[in-house]
Amino acid sequence: MFDLPILLQIGWTAVATSAYYVLFAIAFALTLKVAQVWNFVQAGVMGLAFYAMWLAMIRWQWPHAAGFALGLAVAVVVSAAVEAWGFRVLRQRNSSSLMLFIFAIVLAEFISYLLTLAFGTEPETLTKSIVSEVHLVGGVAITNWDLRALAITIAMSLALFAYLRFTRNGQFLYAVADNGPLAELYGISANRAYLLAMVISAVFVAAGVYLYGTRASMIPTQPLELMLFAVIATILGGIGSIHGAALAAVFLSLLQSASILVIPSAWQGSLTYFVLFIVILFFPTGFRFPAWLRRVTRGR
Amino acid sequence: MSAVRVVDVHKHFGGIVVAENINLELHAGEILGLIGPNGAGKTTLFNLISGIHAPDHGEIWLGDQALSKLPVYRRARLGVARTWQHIRLFPTLSVIDNLLMGPRDYPGEALFSGIFRLGARRAAAAAARERAMAILARIGLPDSADKLPGELPFGQQKLIGLARTLMNDGNVLLLDEPMAGVEGQAYETMQQVVRDEAAAGRAVCVVEHNVSFIRDLCTRAVFMFNGCVEQSGTVEELLASDKLAELYFGGKK
Amino acid sequence: MEYILSVLILIGIYTILASSFNLIIGFGGLISVAHPIFFALGAYASGLANLHFGVPIPAAIMLGSLFAALMSVALSLPSLRVSGDYLLIASIGFQLGFLEVIKNIEFAGGAGGLSNIASMYAGPYRSLAFAITILVIAALVVALVHWLTHGDYGRAIQAMRDDEECFTSLGRNPMAIKITIFAFGSGLAGLAGALYAHYFQYLTPEQFGIVQSSLILTMVVVGGMGTTIGPVVGALLLTALPQAITFLNLPSSVMAPLQGMLYTSLVLVFLFTRPAGLFGKPVRQ
Repeated sequence: MFDLPILLQIGWTAVATSAYYVLFAIAFALTLKVAQVWNFVQAGVMGLAFYAMWLAMIRWQWPHAAGFALGLAVAVVVSAAVEAWGFRVLRQRNSSSLMLFIFAIVLAEFISYLLTLAFGTEPETLTKSIVSEVHLVGGVAITNWDLRALAITIAMSLALFAYLRFTRNGQFLYAVADNGPLAELYGISANRAYLLAMVISAVFVAAGVYLYGTRASMIPTQPLELMLFAVIATILGGIGSIHGAALAAVFLSLLQSASILVIPSAWQGSLTYFVLFIVILFFPTGFRFPAWLRRVTRGR
Repeated sequence: MSAVRVVDVHKHFGGIVVAENINLELHAGEILGLIGPNGAGKTTLFNLISGIHAPDHGEIWLGDQALSKLPVYRRARLGVARTWQHIRLFPTLSVIDNLLMGPRDYPGEALFSGIFRLGARRAAAAAARERAMAILARIGLPDSADKLPGELPFGQQKLIGLARTLMNDGNVLLLDEPMAGVEGQAYETMQQVVRDEAAAGRAVCVVEHNVSFIRDLCTRAVFMFNGCVEQSGTVEELLASDKLAELYFGGKK
Repeated sequence: MEYILSVLILIGIYTILASSFNLIIGFGGLISVAHPIFFALGAYASGLANLHFGVPIPAAIMLGSLFAALMSVALSLPSLRVSGDYLLIASIGFQLGFLEVIKNIEFAGGAGGLSNIASMYAGPYRSLAFAITILVIAALVVALVHWLTHGDYGRAIQAMRDDEECFTSLGRNPMAIKITIFAFGSGLAGLAGALYAHYFQYLTPEQFGIVQSSLILTMVVVGGMGTTIGPVVGALLLTALPQAITFLNLPSSVMAPLQGMLYTSLVLVFLFTRPAGLFGKPVRQ
């Protein structure tokens, strides 16, 4: 059960499939950091983007690029609308965080029911066959999907970090994340920052959903569970740390895959929730690396 | 034995030291003035004593009880009562209800004590109400009991805030700028109340910018600057000090 | 007649659920989506205690309620130690996760469900007896919640909602109050569950899913959070409404999501047009 080739395979596959988890986690962590909102609507956006892509690619036989573009457009438009007509309105009314939570959760649920009504509960994927070309490297099967997923994820993550670090708009996001009212005094519009954060999240969501849909199958209630993964990763990585969330997502994916070796399959579904409780109990402020490792990975 | 002893207390937030090597004593029956420019760490010190922040080093003693491991509500139940720079009366509760939240042991707090000891609880509640009305009479606002705090003028709200701390009936009163923005009758009343409380044996510490208040009421004073205790002594000594003038006003007045 | 009685019984059960949830979210300000789970825990615990351990039904019901209350502490204590936000997240995990757990426990009937639970009353007037019992209990629960939220304890809850830091500085312990409210509310949900189990005699995990959560939340939001009468009216309206939809004779695959959409869209509409609900006072800023 524990021989090396199997472990390597599990490890590799876990890292590869962590790609979409990383994208979802980054999306969630970003909106939480900048807008201080637990954006559960992301689950709804994930669902809508997926089914838009599915309609385009499978039902209407569009080329993949066009289908992806549609899903991306849907994600961006919905996210922007939720921010502009939802969160912003509630914020302007000085609504309590209770109200914002209720709004986010309920909207996500509404979208989930809508999608169930429209598309049923049959699992759907974005490609006719999820098998892609395999290469054997040192006994480990590496698929083209794996490579593409990793490439896309790494590229997008780096692009985001560069954006946040080096562009004016990116730095505005940090400023608002740090201290919204203060940033406003310096002429930075907090509302624009919130909108920008939501839109960027939407892009990551679209990419994540595309990767997920080309490897696994989706049902309308899946996004909420996938979201939970992103939430756990965000908490474990430390609220406010986007790269923390990304790393935590990889770690959790490895944990999930490795768990096959030790727990019976019936309990696999409960694992995520169990991890959630462990995280809340023992790591609510994030997992603290030992000091020397922190120095190496320093820099937001 | 002093009522409150702050011993070698040190506190920092991130890279900013807000309290450095603080040593301070509060005695029963005295009114200690805490003065210093904004940002000197006076409110931080109150937060450390009342428990909102925990010191990084050092200890705070209430009599012979070490406070640092105790949460805020425990310290209040031991008799540490404070007011705030900004009035923090509960806006949706009436004045009398605000006061009724003040006693150290709130009769209605435990859910089931109400069911099992109804008689005792009712008696305690009645007693608290009597005390609250008496305090309202003492501060000259007997008719404000059923009003909402927002309906009262600023000075009266501050008096009610003070009154609420009196409901605690504790040994330590920490008053954060009680006189700021208060004038006329409310000012007089507040002065008198603070004097009376000290005379009754409580240890009172007052943060104030109002020099005449400090002069009239405080016997001792402590000058803080940048998180440190720069000087302590009698009020006259401090007010005559050149060092204080320089730090406070940026040069001899 | 039978049909009307079972609707009345449902109204009674949902009144208890909505009222207890209102205590938690409307008065206590604690947001959780796991209320159906405590409903489930009470139902299963009571059913199993009676079925497998021969505990007489009234005692089993008490047990179910107590069990739900105790389990709620397992959720609220670690979460609230961190913050209220965490309670929401943990409750989502609890709600989704516990159903998984129940599905895997054969002792509780697994995914197929628990059946043959004993009925509280027997005989031709069973439903009538049940209806009267539940409506009386529901009225008592509403009265109890009202008594709790007005008077000394209610004053403390209100002060805590107004300014928690100041509240603690007066010597009050907000954690104790929050956990107590949560346990009390969840225990009442468990009570409703136990009553439900001994009437309908059949439990499956599906009955306690996220749609239930949306439904209960809708009842409270539409009725008016933080009021006594709000959840009662909400329960009445929203138990009657789905019944009206049943008459459309739609397939169940359409029914469930349609109901879900109805509840959630009601909440959204009220959230933006009338956040205080039908009977609430204008929302405190």
